[in-house]
Amino acid sequence: MKRMKTVCLFLLSLCLGLGVLGGCAESESSVERAGEEVSDDEERKTFVFGDTTFNPENEEPDVNPHRAYSGWACIRYGIGETLFHYSDSMEMEPWLAVRYENPDERIWVITLRDDVTFSSGRKMDGEAVKECLEHLVETHDRARGDLGMESIEAEGQVLTITTSEPKPAFLNYLSDPYGCIIDMQAGITEDGIVAGTGPYIAVSLVSGERLELRKNENYWNGTPGYDSITVRTISDGDTLTLALQSGEIDGAYGLPYASYAIFQNDDYQISSCATSRAFFLEMNARSAVTADDAVRQAIAMGIDKEGFVNTLLQGNGYVAAGVYPDSFSFGGDAVTAEAYDPEGARAILDAAGWVDSDGDGYREKDGTKLSIRWLTYPSRQELLLLAESAQATLKEIGVEVVIHSTADHNSLRVDPVAWDVYASAMVTAPTGDPEYFFTTHCLDASSANNGSYHSDELEKLEMELAATFDVSRRADLAVQMQQVILDDHAFVFCSHLKMSMVSQASVSGLTAHPCDFYEITADLAPVS
Amino acid sequence: MRSYVCKRLLQLIPILLAITFLSFGMMRIAGSDAVLQKMENTGIVLSRDMIEQTRAELGLDRPFLVQYLTWLWNLLHGDMGTSYISGKAVLPTFLSKLPATLLLAVVSIGLTMVISIPLGILAAVKQNRFMDYLIRFCSFLGNSMPNFFVALLLMYVLAIRLHVLPVISNGVNGRSVAMPALTLAIAMSAKYLRQVRATVLDELSKEYVAGAKARGVRFSVTLIKSVLRASMVTIVTLLTLSIGSLLGGTAIVESIFLWDGVGKLAVDAINMRDYPMIQAYVMWMAMIYVVVNLLADLSYRLLDPRIRLGGMEP
Repeated sequence: MKRMKTVCLFLLSLCLGLGVLGGCAESESSVERAGEEVSDDEERKTFVFGDTTFNPENEEPDVNPHRAYSGWACIRYGIGETLFHYSDSMEMEPWLAVRYENPDERIWVITLRDDVTFSSGRKMDGEAVKECLEHLVETHDRARGDLGMESIEAEGQVLTITTSEPKPAFLNYLSDPYGCIIDMQAGITEDGIVAGTGPYIAVSLVSGERLELRKNENYWNGTPGYDSITVRTISDGDTLTLALQSGEIDGAYGLPYASYAIFQNDDYQISSCATSRAFFLEMNARSAVTADDAVRQAIAMGIDKEGFVNTLLQGNGYVAAGVYPDSFSFGGDAVTAEAYDPEGARAILDAAGWVDSDGDGYREKDGTKLSIRWLTYPSRQELLLLAESAQATLKEIGVEVVIHSTADHNSLRVDPVAWDVYASAMVTAPTGDPEYFFTTHCLDASSANNGSYHSDELEKLEMELAATFDVSRRADLAVQMQQVILDDHAFVFCSHLKMSMVSQASVSGLTAHPCDFYEITADLAPVS
Repeated sequence: MRSYVCKRLLQLIPILLAITFLSFGMMRIAGSDAVLQKMENTGIVLSRDMIEQTRAELGLDRPFLVQYLTWLWNLLHGDMGTSYISGKAVLPTFLSKLPATLLLAVVSIGLTMVISIPLGILAAVKQNRFMDYLIRFCSFLGNSMPNFFVALLLMYVLAIRLHVLPVISNGVNGRSVAMPALTLAIAMSAKYLRQVRATVLDELSKEYVAGAKARGVRFSVTLIKSVLRASMVTIVTLLTLSIGSLLGGTAIVESIFLWDGVGKLAVDAINMRDYPMIQAYVMWMAMIYVVVNLLADLSYRLLDPRIRLGGMEP
């Protein structure tokens, strides 16, 4: 019996020992924790960044801007830069360019900076940019369609681009991440690494896992603050949270909303701003119930956007009025939307003949119950919360909401009889220009005009917008066009995504930008 | 024996055909496709022409049966296709993830055996005493906690409080595998130690144990040489089932710990409707279940020569 106890004790000790050994294996390695690595090694300063979005599933398999949406990684991680960029107030500013002229509606003369070299060592001149843009439109379908370039000529630092048709938003498209200028002579490696002009140089890449960067010693626009940067793809939000807490990473993008409270203290810094990713509703004009003006208006007045943003999103969003957030000159309060007014909504429905005649809490008209089929999808947590919020607040005004949340929403939204309200999320101004939302969602020819919305006035305004080059006039037209769709109650914009990045207190310069393009810059540095 | 093994391996062919056809069909029934999923993820609206063009490039515009037969034909020619998401060949991508999953599976099984077998025996030997109650309580606790919760708990204690292990894995190595393996082992041990306890108790109640005691054989000798051996068939069956599911990857644990194995690959592929990758995963799962079960059947013969395989004479 005594021997039996010994055997059991031995096995238990073995079990615990293996656990400890497994845990301590390789504990002698030089890298203990990223945070400690920085403090232990004063020679080299390393920043470790955790990001939920840098992966093939998000169409960012590498940092080659000429592939899918990899340009986002290229520009976000400080590898590439575009000819123009957006200021904090979303206005276009020269970046690798010095200035531009637009002598003709189809001709753009762009003068480049003279002091920029690629990380490959080659000088950035007109010829290099020409090679890059030619390769871009040859390989990138979206860029080819957006830019519509007919010819490019290069002479010294001057680039002359002719488009096949007038392109008022041409500079905006050039500022899309796919417009990062890379050295085509240095080429694109098999892993998708390119030579750009940014403060950091991509050294190695494991798609969907990690990216290693080192400082660009010859950077033209300042001195990068870190010697090296590691970008880790951490798809799970909880893991990202714990990694930041444990100090394994120094900064994070894409934390779950619930985690921000943990970092609201002196040990961390949070940088937030509104982006143009909007959560909004489309009304189905072909549905009998939402074809009724009173119903659409009541829905617009019956949704408690403040409650949704402040309570359900825990303040991690911005209440939307129109298509764009207030960081855009044509966004925010530039337009007037219906305020949350349950009393007013009830009065409108009463006047339209929608009354609760059977006392079940929901209104009827001509024997038809006022019931809304709410189509949405589960991949964005905010949309389910929005559906639940609307279900509760619209019930208060006598409107029933039947939620249909499905991954198959893309095939249902094109079915005119499958839904009344479609709630979705999209980036309404990916290039900072207002035209994109209207051309994709609101016009007769729009590919995502799911509710078959039509407005003669809007079509007319779009024709003018498409031919207008003056930036301030474009902004005016964008405001007018938003007001048209809001007055028609064809769309209801509920909130804009609050983009936040969290960093350790020992880090400075990790700042959120409204266009969501710029993250790692030369300003990122350890606090001295 | 050889004909039995050949027969079992031949059974794999109809299983693979049926399962790949079913998965192919079910993914289509699930709705959406790789093009629409990409559009949803990026939040950018593509034109109808571009959607149709991309679908045509991927062959998604063709009838379901044509797609399946094309995939099967290519498979018979050694081509498992190209991932819709990464644009890379499926087979090398899949094979590159296997070592991580194999390592995690082996370490998890090892830890499970080390935890569950001694504790199960101890609980049986100390039946209805404090140690038995304590072990059963721990088992109950382990069974009640889902994997992701155990993972987060371990991360919090071992990485944030004690700083002995990293939260995120840093490649496929011993230090990184410890926490995911421990997570899996805790859940499996909680389940298996009760099975081990029950099996050992069953054996202990048999007459040969009382006989051995009457003959003056030491209890530890009876336990190790007779009881444990007799219990091994049940234990091997349980572990075999675990190996099957572990080799298929444990998606949640792999995702949480950034363990780059086939489980995470499969979940990502399903989310993105990456059909060629899903098919590769389905084939792998079918094969490992058949092969692992075959190996388990063969091992029974070794553990207990009285067992016959497939009705064959020993």
